[in-house]
Amino acid sequence: MDHCSMEVAPGAITGLIGPNGAGKTTLFNLVSGAVSPSGGQIVLGGRRIDGMKMHQTFELGLMRTFQIPREMKRMTVLENLMLVPAPQIGESIWKAWLTPWRVAREERRIESKALEALDFVKLSHLTNEYAGNLSTGQKKLLELARTLMADPKLVLLDEPAAGVNRTLLRDISASILLASVERGVTFIIIEHDMHLVMRLCDPIIVMANGAVIAKGTPTQVQEDPRVLEAYLGSRR
Amino acid sequence: MDVIGVISYSAGFAIMAGIYGVFALGLNVHWGSTGLFNIGIAGFFALGAYTAALMTTQTPDPALFEDFKFGGNWSELGFLDLGIDLWFFLGLGAASIVCGVIALAIGYVTLRLRDDYLAIATLGIAETVRLFFLNEKWVANGSKGLYRIPKFLGDWISPENYDYLYLVVVLVVLAALYAAVERAAKSPWGRVLRAIREDETAAEASGKNVFNFKLQAFIMGAIIMGIGGALFAHNVRFLSPLTFDPLLATFIIWAMLMVGGSGNNKGAILGAFLVWGIWSGTQFLPGVFSDPNFRFFMIGVLIVAVILIRPGGILGEERKVARSADGARI
Repeated sequence: MDHCSMEVAPGAITGLIGPNGAGKTTLFNLVSGAVSPSGGQIVLGGRRIDGMKMHQTFELGLMRTFQIPREMKRMTVLENLMLVPAPQIGESIWKAWLTPWRVAREERRIESKALEALDFVKLSHLTNEYAGNLSTGQKKLLELARTLMADPKLVLLDEPAAGVNRTLLRDISASILLASVERGVTFIIIEHDMHLVMRLCDPIIVMANGAVIAKGTPTQVQEDPRVLEAYLGSRR
Repeated sequence: MDVIGVISYSAGFAIMAGIYGVFALGLNVHWGSTGLFNIGIAGFFALGAYTAALMTTQTPDPALFEDFKFGGNWSELGFLDLGIDLWFFLGLGAASIVCGVIALAIGYVTLRLRDDYLAIATLGIAETVRLFFLNEKWVANGSKGLYRIPKFLGDWISPENYDYLYLVVVLVVLAALYAAVERAAKSPWGRVLRAIREDETAAEASGKNVFNFKLQAFIMGAIIMGIGGALFAHNVRFLSPLTFDPLLATFIIWAMLMVGGSGNNKGAILGAFLVWGIWSGTQFLPGVFSDPNFRFFMIGVLIVAVILIRPGGILGEERKVARSADGARI
């Protein structure tokens, strides 16, 4: 990162684009807590989160996905989703042993929420399938469903369209838009599919060499000479 | 061998298989559920066994046992002398506490690191424990070993029938541990462990404090192994550092879990009975076939056969499905 500074408005779907090596995923790693920054500040809803671990940023309403889907392969699609809500009574070993009826009640609630999320991303037919057996596109949808299970305030999506066919891509875009409109979720999306970014995101932030070089509406960004230079190289 | 002899041998066999079932359950918490690569089971095995033995064994007659040194004459303090063998339970409890505390210390410094470091640490701890009991003679009589470890309720029953009583004790403890581990594994707690086994980063990104859960699993598995060690001590009634040879105190337990089915508690117990059955049964083979090396070779053949035919083990991990889909419980 090189003096990278940006702000994201609540409820917006913000696109984060830039050439390979611009620092987009590194930025996600820093914001989500996968990597601790050596300096600077990261603020979520007025609270500093730099240096926090991923499970701590999650508790504050931040959920992320990964460029290469990281599903729990030998767990079913349903289990992948039921894992997410927090805190769960049954995650305490003592409560799991001593109050199984409370855990069962909570499990029923979480299961029906998971089935709703699967319905939302059109994966209901794969409920009991091992997540490792899903196609890349289905794994991307599963990651999206996992973010919905968390009731997040902010979702960081890292290349949700990579390796996804056009039909599934439409489903993913629709799911993101629906979550934003119906649930008020804020999204930051790293994506190389410019059609998707231009259709879905506003504003768009452009990064290059670890810094923000442009920010604006899709039209503004498309016409910005710095963006063209970053993608195509400078004219001599 | 007459019928009585066969029954008596079977009881002795089932006691050892049941004790190994306890170890396999502990390893299943570590590896099967959480993916913690513990190759130092012998360390917790030895700690559990020695702790229970030191809590219960009385100093033998100095005239009979010259130069017998150990620090375990606590059972002679008398404050729990209530006419029943409460010391057995105290030994079991102490074994689990000691193993839990040691696991906490090891886990705290190693579980933040990659799996291979945990493997090295557990292997190192197992050797350290063995060498400690070998060299620190004042603790448990060094290489000469600790003997005359008492039988639990040994005064209640004749020596020739004692194995039946102890078999019941072992099976009750095994059943209780199975019930506890199974309930934990099927709870959201167990689900988090499996998520960690599959992908730590994704589990952390799903809001789980991975380090805390790994530490809990590591301690739980170690406690179970400690209880297994205590049961073993009261069965064989003699312990020396050589007892905790890595082949019979670590690797055979791995074989049991792999054969029965990693990630499945029933599989862990089944694997213990099968592998111990092969280990015990092959000693009756004629000539060179009863050689320990050949017997271990047979266990190796079994592992290879299971891996080829059923890579997940005989029972394998159960798939948790939605209640609403087919009525099965999660």
